[in-house]
Amino acid sequence: MSKVMDSHRKGRFAVLWSAALLTVLLALVGLSACGRAAMPTTTPAPASTPTPVPPTRASTPVSATPTPSLYPVTITDMAGREVTVQTQPQAIVSLAPANTEMLYALGLGDKVVGITEFCNYPPEAGQKPKVGGFSDISTEKVVELAPDLILADSMHIAEVVPALEDLGLKVVVIDPTNIPAVLEGIELLGTITEREKEAQALTAQMQEAIDAIAQAVDGHEKLRVFWELSSDLWTAGPGSFIDDLIVRSGGGNIAVGADSSWLQLSNEAIIAADPEVILLADHPFGATMETVAARPGWDKISAVVNNRIIEISDTDLVSRPGPRVVEALKFVAKVLHPDAFE
Amino acid sequence: MSTLPDSQATEVRSLNRRLAALVLALVTLLLVAALGAALGSVRTPPSAVAQLCWARLTGNPVPADLPPAWETILFEIRFPRVVLGGLVGMTLAVAGAVYQALFRNPLADPYLIGVSSGASFGATVAMYFVWRFAWGGLNAISLAAFAGALLTTAAIYSLARVGGRTPVTTLILAGVAVGAVLSAGTTLLMFTASDAFHTIHILGWLMGSLALANWEEVRAILPYLLLGFLVIGWHAHTLNVLQLDEEQAQALGIEVERVKGVLILATSLAAAAAISVSGVIGFVGLVVPHIVRLIWGPDHRFLLPTSALLGAIGLILADSLARTLFAPRELPLGVVTALVGAPFFLHLLRRQKREVF
Repeated sequence: MSKVMDSHRKGRFAVLWSAALLTVLLALVGLSACGRAAMPTTTPAPASTPTPVPPTRASTPVSATPTPSLYPVTITDMAGREVTVQTQPQAIVSLAPANTEMLYALGLGDKVVGITEFCNYPPEAGQKPKVGGFSDISTEKVVELAPDLILADSMHIAEVVPALEDLGLKVVVIDPTNIPAVLEGIELLGTITEREKEAQALTAQMQEAIDAIAQAVDGHEKLRVFWELSSDLWTAGPGSFIDDLIVRSGGGNIAVGADSSWLQLSNEAIIAADPEVILLADHPFGATMETVAARPGWDKISAVVNNRIIEISDTDLVSRPGPRVVEALKFVAKVLHPDAFE
Repeated sequence: MSTLPDSQATEVRSLNRRLAALVLALVTLLLVAALGAALGSVRTPPSAVAQLCWARLTGNPVPADLPPAWETILFEIRFPRVVLGGLVGMTLAVAGAVYQALFRNPLADPYLIGVSSGASFGATVAMYFVWRFAWGGLNAISLAAFAGALLTTAAIYSLARVGGRTPVTTLILAGVAVGAVLSAGTTLLMFTASDAFHTIHILGWLMGSLALANWEEVRAILPYLLLGFLVIGWHAHTLNVLQLDEEQAQALGIEVERVKGVLILATSLAAAAAISVSGVIGFVGLVVPHIVRLIWGPDHRFLLPTSALLGAIGLILADSLARTLFAPRELPLGVVTALVGAPFFLHLLRRQKREVF
């Protein structure tokens, strides 16, 4: 009797299970079709719907030029993507601190509607709504802010940018990896936001300062520099923004032969390279002149012997490829060649 | 009707209790899913959520006083995320239950024979070389993870095959060894990545996230999940019998090697598909089947559907926590499942006086 019941139960279970799966399948197919079908109507259309942002104060019509509008404008962003901007962006979300600084430098602060938690400069930017951290961006938050332009970084290209574009949003990638690219980025931003005059004025000013620094350090001996990013000896290699800072300040990065822009050096390699100046970008994490000098074998290094170990407190300044890059350059150049700036 | 003998009466009563538990789990899942849809870094009051759903269902226009963005957020971001979370949770729990049965080992989880190490390696390779293609609704990282998981499991299975048989101990050992190699490879790639943010990106993927879930991903993995579940479900009774050792099961008429092969294939297919879109989320596959067993016993015809529902509930809740605790930032899902699941499981273990595995 029980054997019959068993095989009954076995067959019955299989049938019930399959029926349940089929129901789940149909439900999910129905649910997902719901979502896709309505896509066109749910795409935020910034031009027609009023954006739910607080009314901007009447900004001085710097961009109300009498010349005909340059829009729509098509540009190639720094990730090689062709993007067409239809109208002057009025609600901009920035996903990178350097880009936020660029926006404010061009006088677009009141058009910024969203930033990341790390966008701390200028200080007034801190009031804006936050949409995420580094690569973890809340797409919900971005959609809620209904931006007509999003500035992203190269680390967002793999997943965040496609996700945002799928939701119908416009993304431009600005990601300078050296100083000339910073100027390019500022001018690109000027083009798409109709702030070309301001952008050109800013970049001209920056270029002048950069040239002045280059002239000041010209002729000075190139010092060997070790830029410490962490106490387990990670440093910035060729192709990185920091490397460019070092070279333009009259220094030579001891990681010059590396094939990566971010790498870990060994104790021996550093001792062998004998840097003349050490910059501690990990100072906020506890690295000091004393801790560095105490490392085994480091007491013979020129930088330690001559006490040319610099603790960097404002690491944001020297790691952001944005408008303050000139200040960063000046800082490093003065550290390397103080006599050139008397 | 004649009264049933005592033993059968007990069976019927316990069957009713289990059916009730199953229905309760289903209802809870729907409630949790609704909760998940209402939570997020953007505050949407439940009434608004209800209004939007009703409007979508009846084809009426959306109420004008609600921000238009909420419709997009709800139907394009949150719903697919909740659904994906449920599907992944279901898959991990069922896969865990199957492996625990196949290997007769309480520590077995869906990642035992290469799915996790293979997927991690595949995804890391894709992120390291910055692959950008997409196909069938999945991006390069997910595709590479899927392929990596399946290839690794296939490799481990064939490595463990000895003379037409695949002893479970050999499978586990091969899994450990291959997993170690792939793990080392993954870490190596992580460390030689070209900049710090690459490494953070890889690490984030490895710790699990449903952050960029969309309907395309749901549709892409659904066939594999359903196929896997179908096959697994049809072997539920067989899994019960397999709890005896393999020789006895063979004597009872079960073709042990064939069943093992089929179940490993089906489970790996489903688990690989799930992990390819969610990253590595630990603990769900290990703990959920145990929770069900601790309370209701090891009959797989009940264990499988209940684990599926409980896994779905658990992951949706964990995901809701992950995206609201520090909004707008997100916690890795694997962290939440471990921190929440482990103490709960320990608590259950302590309360239980009898041994059930």
